[in-house]
Amino acid sequence: MKFSISREAFLKPLQLVVSVVERRQTLPVLSNVLISLDDGRLSLTGTDLEVEIVGRQAIDEAEEGGEITAPARKLMDICKSLPEGAQIRFSEEGGRMLLQSGRSRFTLSTLPASEFPAVDEGPGQVEFNIPGAELKGLIDSTSFAMAQQDVRYYLNGMLWEAAEGTLRAVATDGHRLAMATRAMPFSVPEKIQAIIPRKGVVELSRILPEEGEVEVVLGNNHVRIQGEDFRFTSKLIDGAYPDYDRVLPKGGDKTMSGSRELLRSAFARTSILSNEKYRGVRLLLQENLLKMTANNPEQEEAEEEVSVEYEGGELEIGFNVNYLLDVLNVLRGDQVRFLLSDANSSALIEDPANESALYVIMPMRL
Amino acid sequence: MDAGADGRKIIHCDCDCFFAAVEIRDDPSLAELPIAVGGSHRRRGVIATCNYRAREYGIHSAMPTARALRLCPGLVLIPPDFEKYREAAMAVRRIFHRFTDRVEPLSLDEAYLDVSDSEHCRGSATLIAREVRSAIRREVGITASAGVAPNKFLAKIASDWRKPDGLFVVCPDDVDTFVSGLPVRKLSGVGKATERKLDRFGVVTCGDLRRIGLAELVDAFGAFGHRLYELSRGIDNRPVMVERIRKSLSVEQTYAADLPDLDSCLAKLPELFMQFRQRLRRLDDRYQVTRQFLKIRFDDFTITTVERHCPGGVALESYQRLCDEGWRRGTRPVRLLGVGVRLADMAPGSGGRQLALFDA
Repeated sequence: MKFSISREAFLKPLQLVVSVVERRQTLPVLSNVLISLDDGRLSLTGTDLEVEIVGRQAIDEAEEGGEITAPARKLMDICKSLPEGAQIRFSEEGGRMLLQSGRSRFTLSTLPASEFPAVDEGPGQVEFNIPGAELKGLIDSTSFAMAQQDVRYYLNGMLWEAAEGTLRAVATDGHRLAMATRAMPFSVPEKIQAIIPRKGVVELSRILPEEGEVEVVLGNNHVRIQGEDFRFTSKLIDGAYPDYDRVLPKGGDKTMSGSRELLRSAFARTSILSNEKYRGVRLLLQENLLKMTANNPEQEEAEEEVSVEYEGGELEIGFNVNYLLDVLNVLRGDQVRFLLSDANSSALIEDPANESALYVIMPMRL
Repeated sequence: MDAGADGRKIIHCDCDCFFAAVEIRDDPSLAELPIAVGGSHRRRGVIATCNYRAREYGIHSAMPTARALRLCPGLVLIPPDFEKYREAAMAVRRIFHRFTDRVEPLSLDEAYLDVSDSEHCRGSATLIAREVRSAIRREVGITASAGVAPNKFLAKIASDWRKPDGLFVVCPDDVDTFVSGLPVRKLSGVGKATERKLDRFGVVTCGDLRRIGLAELVDAFGAFGHRLYELSRGIDNRPVMVERIRKSLSVEQTYAADLPDLDSCLAKLPELFMQFRQRLRRLDDRYQVTRQFLKIRFDDFTITTVERHCPGGVALESYQRLCDEGWRRGTRPVRLLGVGVRLADMAPGSGGRQLALFDA
């Protein structure tokens, strides 16, 4: 393999793939990136056996095609530290990879491409195209609610559900839930569910392009998303996602509406004196007034009042303030609406001007 | 492991040479040396824990440090840092509570977990034990051994079976085989004396023990005979006793001479409050203070308690106000003063202050 490429053109696909390559690998080849050059097209591949990302780049000066793997982080560090606009020449020499740029020269160890594991894909159940920005929107408006290292392993990921005419993303850690739905012009005979592992979700959000469409293939064990210059494949989490529909509050009779920004900043201030570990805040709703208080183990206290639209009768309810802030940070509208019923039942939060996303939070007993 | 006929699944989890392991975690260069945590021989101290390297020299816990140093002159003796161990132990305990709220602590670093009704790991106690062990390794940086069995006595023996850093499972179907081969000295309560006595009956293993009738055992060993009869058959119905949750924390002082008036009570408060602050600081952060109280016992032995939510925080001034109020109820000399707080348990395993979306 022999080719020359500008630093920037090489870094672009490398940056797409390098973050899935984990630093500490049990299998040495997994800390490498697979470099393949075929017919003037360069592809770089990184994998952790669960998530695989391929970044593609057209090449100006391809002299000789081939495939080889080289250490991902070192390659990244070298290319980043070269001066902007530098031209880099790659070649293979006696089982090593040679990088030359100006008066710099680096020889890197390699492992044969045949040792690089491929993610095996099964057949797709449903395929569709979607604007990259829309898919990113679905992910970014829900991913914060995914669990982290929960023993209920199926919560450490995001549910994608394709049903007749809609695509839906759901994330929950068992205490709060986020759900975003988008109309899709496809038809599926029955609901298809796929749980994408947390790492895959995070990586995908990072690489999805703001412009142009991507192609999505949902299979039984894998999901694949392909754009012009990347291909993302992730194994799915094998497990049954909890019945989220059952926990969407149906009977709330108390509606509170207010300015998202006023509420957000009041919660942020109140949170300073809430218990650092349990993060409880107490909300007291009265006619057109929300009072919030928090106190910590030292019995220091914060109190805020915000004018809201509310006529549901007095209600006192506690929440983890981080859960409230997460929702108010991810919503975009000026107004926000809370639907509540009592101190032991979940609250539903949404943007009254855009009901494509909704959020459910269980209260705390304070 | 699946539940047996009576359906119990118990895990006994025990950290390996706990104090020593915490020290090695914080200074990995100690790992290859014989080390012991304990009091100095100059102050007639004893060994609290030692690592396996030190055990090769015959050192064990409760051995006088002077003797340990004679056995192994190169022994690295580390003075105990109980604050550090307590912190590690709390981290371990929080891991237990992620899987079940039925946790019975036996000591700082050892507990029984009843996971019979746990939904975690699809109800597999073996998988839970594995998760617990890897969480302790990952998050606390030390190793633990675990035993899984249908009851406490077998779980405890099982955790010792593959120690250190091991997991051993006694499935309900294997109980009979496992127990019959077990030497009687492995049974809790069987010491050297009982072992010798049993030896005279020709009993070495639990299998041998089963040949002796209940009446004969009770005759020879009293009430313990009944227990031996059951243990030798793998029977142990003791439930896992869930830890006591603290509802309050306080410090009291009975005075050698009665405090004659309010001013003399108020004068004693700062000292009492300082002692109380010390204890409050050591309180696990699973608790949140809900109210403060002050208790007074008058010289006629009547007791009054004044309790209040004090928005100013846990401060001496709040107790002074409470004291003033309480003393007025008796207006007579005071024998005893107590200051304290009521607590709310915030820990996730405690019934959950944070309510869950899904019933699990």
